[in-house]
Amino acid sequence: MKNYKGLIYPYIVWIAIMIVVPMLMIFAFAFIQDDGSSVSFTFDNFKRFFSDETFPNVLKRSLGIALSTTLVCILFGYPAAYIMSKAEGKKKSLLVLLMTMPMWINMLVRTYALMGILADNGLLNSILSFLGIPMVQIMYTDSAVMLGMVYDFLPFMVLQIHGSLEKMDKSLLEAAADLGAGKGKTFLKVVLPLSIPGVLSGITLVFLPAVSSYFIPNILGGGGYTLVGNLIQQYSLTTERDFASAISLIMAVIIMLSMALTKKLEKFSGTEGSED
Amino acid sequence: MKRKSRYMTLFGLLTMCAVALTGCGESKPTLKFYNWGEYASYEVISNFEKEYNCKVICDYYDSNETMYNKIQSGDSYDVMIPSDYMIERLISEDRLLELDKSQLPNLEKVTESVKGLDFDQDNIYSAPYFWGSVGILYNPEAVSTETVESEGWNVLKNAEYKGKIYMYDSERDSFMIALKALGYSMNTENESEIEEAYQWLKELNDTMEPVYVTDEVIDNMISGNKDMAVVYSGDGTFISSENDSLKYYEPEQGTNVWCDAMVISKECENPELAHQFINYMMGNEAAKANSEFVGYTTANDEVMKEISGEGGVFNGNSAYNARQGYEKDEVFHDNEVIRKLLSDYWIKVKASEQ
Repeated sequence: MKNYKGLIYPYIVWIAIMIVVPMLMIFAFAFIQDDGSSVSFTFDNFKRFFSDETFPNVLKRSLGIALSTTLVCILFGYPAAYIMSKAEGKKKSLLVLLMTMPMWINMLVRTYALMGILADNGLLNSILSFLGIPMVQIMYTDSAVMLGMVYDFLPFMVLQIHGSLEKMDKSLLEAAADLGAGKGKTFLKVVLPLSIPGVLSGITLVFLPAVSSYFIPNILGGGGYTLVGNLIQQYSLTTERDFASAISLIMAVIIMLSMALTKKLEKFSGTEGSED
Repeated sequence: MKRKSRYMTLFGLLTMCAVALTGCGESKPTLKFYNWGEYASYEVISNFEKEYNCKVICDYYDSNETMYNKIQSGDSYDVMIPSDYMIERLISEDRLLELDKSQLPNLEKVTESVKGLDFDQDNIYSAPYFWGSVGILYNPEAVSTETVESEGWNVLKNAEYKGKIYMYDSERDSFMIALKALGYSMNTENESEIEEAYQWLKELNDTMEPVYVTDEVIDNMISGNKDMAVVYSGDGTFISSENDSLKYYEPEQGTNVWCDAMVISKECENPELAHQFINYMMGNEAAKANSEFVGYTTANDEVMKEISGEGGVFNGNSAYNARQGYEKDEVFHDNEVIRKLLSDYWIKVKASEQ
């Protein structure tokens, strides 16, 4: 078996080139000031971010939208995962298939499709007006962004929760019933706590991409919907690479903090496991 | 300028894969052509390949800044089509090759108004390709022509059309509008004028519920989702050829006249082929095919008159005949300090709560 260890090297090289080197460059851009003649260490880029209320406000908005996306995903995703795990045989495979099917299509394409559906004169409004219901303006509002984010991230949440519900030892449910617990009590005392690791890894998979997403808000919220991702894009386009790097680092710190937090919660909920 | 770029990025990736797969094993001369997405007729390119027995590798960008970042990070292309202010920047950074005019007989065909613009007064480095203006595309049934013509850019702040407006998501174009509406030069370096323009845009943002779009404006205006949009004349031509109820107007306060021109990079390995390509693109046949395909106004005088004239594809399309020689119209200049200032202000405008 020892011989196979060498197989890890391509991966290490890949990681080094694609992740470690760019990260180091971001660090360098963010902290080092090069005014042509001399090179010095600087915090200016970070000071600039926090000196003006615009940027922290954008950060708050990003966190807010990511948080609400995650919450909605849990609210919709949990019951769906629960029903999936209760289903038997073919029905279950069908449900899993239905849940994963949207992921067969690229996110970009799906988001463009949503744009066509939600537009002021789009499919949704055509149907509404056909039915005689007043038209709604969804495109380029918060609702459109939420809808798009939840639509794109929901499967991640459902599949994670479903996974942890699947792994659950069914005899625990029987034991609970033997001990006289009703359905509601069994759910609250047995099923829910045991599925927490799934919910937590679902949160990681939804919250992290959501907080840094910029494509969906840009397309469905219009260019005026500024999130941290848009800031980074805007500043790297104007070739203010150092400031864009500083914003990326601030973002990375937030992401690491939230990962640490979910890890803590995982420990707190009493079960390790569900590494991802 | 910008058009349907995101679709094109996908398409571009696919074609690049295809090129990578089919391009092996032959040693024809190659030309690396870096262009805006959907900014040249594919047929013209493949005709050129046949005629000159060469291979043109196309790659696409969606903004001048994307293009600049890519060449700055070390990618090299032979021929590119940047806009005026970006050409100015590339010239100042010594990234372009001087054109050999003896190899470009078709340079003569360029229409007077885009010949020798400020950024390259003797067309030493650049051969004009498409040009046009920025204006308001509106639906005359919802917004009267009289209102648009009397209010000019200020119609974008007319409370009656709240929630009915597409703005173009670019700081350059937006500040141009604000500065022109206030009666200043769009190339001003006066910080208090820029500050005033920022207030103008912020007020628009806070009161009018504008939607900031780029290429999405094309589909959205064709399906008539809103009543007014700030567009490049070339997009205006295409949109109004699909939805002929719309009208294009260039406010009397002045606007931006822009020109995208072909340039050869200093790193070009086959300047002769690059010149042949540029000359070919400026020829009547190619210019006609490109302009009809894309909808942007060609710099070839004869072809421009043919297309907009009696029986031409864009006859009667007001956006195709962009305004020429009006004293309040200006061409963009590149200015590093102002560029950063505008970028900061623009983030603040858009991040402000509507």
